[in-house]
Amino acid sequence: MSLSIQPYSAEQPVNPYLDVDLYDPDADLMVLNLGPQHPSTHGVFRVKLILDGEVIVKAIGYPGYLHRGVEKLCEKLNYSNIKAIIDKNDYISPMINEQAVNMAFEKLAGVEVPRRALWLRSLLAEFQRIASHLIALGTFGLDVGGALGGGASAFMYCFRDREMILDVFEELSGCRFHYNTHCVGGNRHDVPAGWDRMVLPALEVIEARLDELVDMMVNNQVFVDRTQGVGVIPKNLALGLGLTGPNGRASGIDCDLRRDAPYNAYGEVEVRPAVRSAGDCQARFLCRVDEIRESARLARLFLAGLPEGPISGTKPNKGPTSVKIKEGRCYVGLSTPRGELGTYLIAGGNKGLSPYRLKIRPPSLHHLASIPYILPGNNLSDAIAILGSLDPVMGEADR
Amino acid sequence: MAVDGKNDSLTYTNPAMDLMARLPGVDIFTSTVDRLLTWGSSNSLWMFPMATSCCGIEFMASATARVDIDRMGTIVRGSPRQGDVMVVAGTITVKMAPRVKKLWDQMPEPKWCVAMGSCAISGDFYRDIYSVIPGIDTVVPVDIYVPGCPPNPEQLMAGLMRLQEKMRAQQRGEWTEPEIRPETEKMNTQPDIRRLLDDERDEGISQAQYDGSCSLGMHGNEHRRHDQVGNPVGVDREQGVEALILRAQAHAQAMEALRQEAAQEFAAAQAAKEAKAKAAAEAKAAAAAKAAAEAEAAAADDDASVAGDAADEAPAGDGETP
Amino acid sequence: MTTAEKVAALTGTEVQELETEFVVAPEHHFALAELLQSEGYTFYITVAATHFAGEVPNKKNPEGSPETFQVATVLRKPEPGASSFACWRVELAAGEPIDSLVPLFEGADWQGREQFDLVGVVFKNHPDLRRLMMPEDWEGHPLRRDYAIETAHPPWR
Ligand code: SF4
Repeated sequence: MSLSIQPYSAEQPVNPYLDVDLYDPDADLMVLNLGPQHPSTHGVFRVKLILDGEVIVKAIGYPGYLHRGVEKLCEKLNYSNIKAIIDKNDYISPMINEQAVNMAFEKLAGVEVPRRALWLRSLLAEFQRIASHLIALGTFGLDVGGALGGGASAFMYCFRDREMILDVFEELSGCRFHYNTHCVGGNRHDVPAGWDRMVLPALEVIEARLDELVDMMVNNQVFVDRTQGVGVIPKNLALGLGLTGPNGRASGIDCDLRRDAPYNAYGEVEVRPAVRSAGDCQARFLCRVDEIRESARLARLFLAGLPEGPISGTKPNKGPTSVKIKEGRCYVGLSTPRGELGTYLIAGGNKGLSPYRLKIRPPSLHHLASIPYILPGNNLSDAIAILGSLDPVMGEADR
Repeated sequence: MAVDGKNDSLTYTNPAMDLMARLPGVDIFTSTVDRLLTWGSSNSLWMFPMATSCCGIEFMASATARVDIDRMGTIVRGSPRQGDVMVVAGTITVKMAPRVKKLWDQMPEPKWCVAMGSCAISGDFYRDIYSVIPGIDTVVPVDIYVPGCPPNPEQLMAGLMRLQEKMRAQQRGEWTEPEIRPETEKMNTQPDIRRLLDDERDEGISQAQYDGSCSLGMHGNEHRRHDQVGNPVGVDREQGVEALILRAQAHAQAMEALRQEAAQEFAAAQAAKEAKAKAAAEAKAAAAAKAAAEAEAAAADDDASVAGDAADEAPAGDGETP
Repeated sequence: MTTAEKVAALTGTEVQELETEFVVAPEHHFALAELLQSEGYTFYITVAATHFAGEVPNKKNPEGSPETFQVATVLRKPEPGASSFACWRVELAAGEPIDSLVPLFEGADWQGREQFDLVGVVFKNHPDLRRLMMPEDWEGHPLRRDYAIETAHPPWR
């Protein structure tokens, strides 16, 4: 008996719960364990692959190797201390993670955020988005090209450019990452004098080098062969799984919270998210490239239009117990480089000083949940490309 | 420090060197070769990254163009078989720890371990969490600690340079005491501090820890009934969802029974308290009546001034009884 | 008929706005998700289970109160220009299972497993309900309110 498994398509969906008999001598299947300590899984993610020759028959994902109990910890912490923990969740875009929890707290506490802080948050978020996508592109290059093949150059180039953004952030907050620069009601660090003289050239350099990177990757036949038509996620599957961000938009879901449910200062500018319909690895790659360009444009807009005024509505340093939310529950979502980061908050724990329950909706976990659907039917070598193109961050997926 | 108290990296001897040391007249030669070997290995540290989380990103950044840690002769290898130094960068969880130990055991001697970042050193602010290992030195022996959250790439570089120093010093026979972080040392000497070294863990300490943590882990009026019921444990996977539902129901019923028991106990306690209060009130009333009667009797016997004194006493006695 | 009115007709509760969390009886949970999916809420966002430990008998509440669970579900309508979400919750007694949404949304698979693992809510009709985050031999559900945060797990912790 030979299993013939085709890659997922709308007409012929893959059954992720397929019963396979590993001891059937005719099928001659093999089990291959990928991870949790594997450089190509982008963190500690484990996939058990069941192979028929070189074709994947079934893929079983095992997250949880970085489960740090953040949600439990948040139930014990005061509202103003939580953001420092949430930083470490999605460690590739900490700036935006801080904003997500703060948005929920501000919504329930009814704190007004000054306009300058809103613009500053949007500006920082766009920078962070560029930095995050650069990591995604660089490591994807490494996955597809191999460390000693051409991929390492893309990796080096992307990290070199990312350093410029880290410098910009270091100038602002004093840290390379884990900034802890937002607080309930505003920001803690204002723009230093002469910051734009550092920021604008950095943006220009990144944009110029991005063209070079795209030339290097997309005009390379090996890259095209390994990514085009590989790991296709049809739109319906993407909707059902909840794929947001570039991964969802590459599958044709025209949804970006920056445009569709504007928060911060995004209501005041026009956002043009990149949407593609192919849904394969290359589309996801190109979506990220387009988003870097779009983010650079938005960052320039936000920098030019940064309004005058205070950056925090509340007095800073009022102590950890200054924020008190007696009751209420809400869901807020915002758009991180990976997708919709939601915060579901039930207030009222610890006499109103901590959340009763803080559930974070991690976009990465939804992306990883697509593994059992899209890996079967592909070759083993494509598994690495597909995992890389999803750009998961395990800190966020496992929390 | 190794889990078993020995420092693994110090017990290593090169078999070739062993052989040569037994030949007569080659002492000077072997010590030169030894120094040469140490010089070589300390300048070509092949790193095996145990990069699990945020610190792993800084580790990656240190391998790229800006910092370029490769110029120290280090190469990042993805396989434990090719590594000299394991760099533990990031939080290690209960689920990951057996893998770390396994990979460490797979590395060939001589090997060194660098704990990069607060999470690897002590667990950082996750150390109290049920799933996080409070410091990787409870699992594998650590040679160099690089503090920070995350440490800058420059700091990692400084840590590796310190490791090179240590390797050369060890060749000369110095710096041989295992490095213990002060906290671990305290754990060894003061049993009331949480101590998590696996093979010496004792029941009493576990229980004390657990009791202490229960008070820390809960807010106010939440109760510890589950101590008596026990935690729901996993069921056989073959049995499916129905078995899980049954298990959940059984657990809920046990908890509910305990709640009712507690409510009854509480009601009984309340009733007892009320009865006691009532009895006390009655006794008080009786005492007051008796005092009043005495006063009356005294007034009947003696003159008016003495009667006034006795009447003053009675209200004072009233004040004390409740 | 607006979606909110349809939802109100189906569940028999007052629903003004879908974005404000509303309460739904457990038996309407699956039908509501089906209705919302056909109304354009096709984007599976999240599920969040919460454990309420109840109260020990005390002066104010001599009977105590039993432990309960709440499961909130969020679906989004991906409409270019104006996206909105629907958020409802189901209140469960302890030990009561809830319908899984896996037949409608593939994403409910891992999300349900995660909530089962951490909170201990059992999802009926789930094809593969196993622990997702914790090791398979783990005891208890860490996000319950009566679970101590520092629980040891020898020999590793
Ligand atoms: S020490 Fe800080 S940066 Fe490093 S893994 Fe821990 S939380 Fe992340």
